[in-house]
Amino acid sequence: MDQKHASSPLAGAVHDLATEVVLALRSGDHLATVCGAAGIDEENRTGIAAVRVIGADLLLPSVLYGRHPHPGDVAVLDRAVREFPPKPDAPAATAWSHWHMISTLQRMAPPAPGAAAPGTYAEPDAAWLEEAPWQAFTHQLSVLAPLAVPAAPSAVQRAAANRAVDLSRGFVRAVRRRDWLQAAGAGRWLAATGGEPATLGLDRGLDFVELMGGHDPRVTLHVRAARLMAEARAR
Amino acid sequence: MTTTATEDPQGRPGQDPQGRPAREPAFTPGASGASGAALAVLPGVLASALAWTDAHRTRFALPDDVLEPHTQVNATLKPLGELAQLGSTIRRTTAPGTPEHEVAGDLVAYAWEQVHEGALLLELLRAEPFAAYPYEIYAAFAGYGLRHEGFEALARPLTATRAWAHTEQHANRQLGLVNSERRVGVVTHTDAGGVLSRTWLGGLSEPWMFEGSSGYALTHTVFHLTDWGRMPDRVPKKIDGYLRTWLPAWADGCLESGQWDLTGELLAVAASLPGPAPVELLDAVWPVLADVQHPTGCVPETGVPAEDPSPDPYPFIDCYHSTLVTAFAAALSLRSLRQTDERAGRPTGEQTGETTPGRERHTP
Amino acid sequence: MFTTDTTATDIELDLDAALNPGEVEGLYRDSRECAYLALLAGGGALLLSPPTPRPKKG
Repeated sequence: MDQKHASSPLAGAVHDLATEVVLALRSGDHLATVCGAAGIDEENRTGIAAVRVIGADLLLPSVLYGRHPHPGDVAVLDRAVREFPPKPDAPAATAWSHWHMISTLQRMAPPAPGAAAPGTYAEPDAAWLEEAPWQAFTHQLSVLAPLAVPAAPSAVQRAAANRAVDLSRGFVRAVRRRDWLQAAGAGRWLAATGGEPATLGLDRGLDFVELMGGHDPRVTLHVRAARLMAEARAR
Repeated sequence: MTTTATEDPQGRPGQDPQGRPAREPAFTPGASGASGAALAVLPGVLASALAWTDAHRTRFALPDDVLEPHTQVNATLKPLGELAQLGSTIRRTTAPGTPEHEVAGDLVAYAWEQVHEGALLLELLRAEPFAAYPYEIYAAFAGYGLRHEGFEALARPLTATRAWAHTEQHANRQLGLVNSERRVGVVTHTDAGGVLSRTWLGGLSEPWMFEGSSGYALTHTVFHLTDWGRMPDRVPKKIDGYLRTWLPAWADGCLESGQWDLTGELLAVAASLPGPAPVELLDAVWPVLADVQHPTGCVPETGVPAEDPSPDPYPFIDCYHSTLVTAFAAALSLRSLRQTDERAGRPTGEQTGETTPGRERHTP
Repeated sequence: MFTTDTTATDIELDLDAALNPGEVEGLYRDSRECAYLALLAGGGALLLSPPTPRPKKG
């Protein structure tokens, strides 16, 4: 595990895991498990916590390329769902990322008939998102960037689609603040839901964000996801 | 400069002191972002910025050696020209009989007196006949009806030359020259539309490339295009939509980084758009700038506002421009908001909801 | 198997922070301006002329 630049063991594990997801997104025809490549198994608590942070993006290569996910990755994602459920007082974003992990598992790896479904499935509250000022809205949406995937409807995705101009302003604001991760997350949402003003110049903007912030593999992950979704939309 | 949300003296809407987004907007009446928040602070901001300027008018006085080659133009003629330009705009934007209208008129008269009713500008032109700035300063007065026959007699052949038409400068500054020509009443050396298309704004530049220099280029493009807010209808529809879409994002960055002078200029641009005022933007930004304004009325150009209660917390050169810009933007904003209310048949100050006409169309 | 309680608690704290990060500090820096690179006649030396004072306002 490369922790030279990480501020904590968890941050190092997240870095490694995101790097493997990016590699899988690049190759497009990966066969190995993402978790296996990152040295994470079901017995590694830091690794499982890193999977909780990366969330449903663990299966992103399969989601975007329309392939079956590797059973090992499904098992670790399922483990992360069960190991780190949101606490009762958890912030809404935590509840939403957890919900999305469950929802992704159900979509990508439905349980065998008769097996117990993993946990609850009710959508968390999203009214706060609709009322949030555009700055806070963009920041929160960026934290929830894993929800920006095709064919995964949610209240968060509807809010993103309804507030495309606000998200675009948030993208501009994030670039001005040199907050590359937030910019990448906002750009990924815009690529997923569309509706950004034509003058935004999202394609070049995402290239720029990747080149400036690509030392963080999560930035690259979001930008790659955005490109793949934009290409799919253009077809 | 680098700032953090925690250094933001106001605590912008939707952010707690740690810079984390608030999950519930905590808007209170009169607070930043609340409906009517701009109109609640604007009359006071305008009156006090003008009062500071009036009280410091002698600081705009030209020194005896103003025409000497060693004298810094940016510390003498530039501030005086700006006093004339912004003062005359405020005079024309405010209602006759109001104290602001009177003070603004006094300030322009004072500036005209400083240039000896134009005679000093003629001397300047004789000293530097091939410079553009004497003409630009003269045009600030001429646009207001204060003219000098001798200046115009010498300027006439110079501004009819090929060299004048090919003065090498930034496109937004060239637009300023076109506007100066319009004010003096001569045939413009080129078509404003062609120059506009060469500006950062006219090119509808990617908004994420905005920074200080493009920001000032953009604001001045709008000032020259609209004759300092006098002719909003000269803003083409595409540019109107572009500005309504992106001004909120740019103003937010200026507030966080303490660029108060540029914030004021962006507000003046927002108030120079054709059609209804961008109410939501004005309501979000004006209360913040009002808080930055010193009790005496001056506004610092950049940085953390001084706590010092004394009459002159900032050096004149570091606050006169931002204070003039604040007064100018406040006068334009009041006009824009009141006209919006009149059009909607509402008593002033009762906005309802967002008014964002002409905002850019989404991509298909 | 899983590590000690102390570490587990550390991980949970780190995890909570990672799942709900606040905004990072904005880093603002505007471009500087550089005057033309002027080729000096006579000397033939490439000279970086002194930067023009950055205009404080537009």
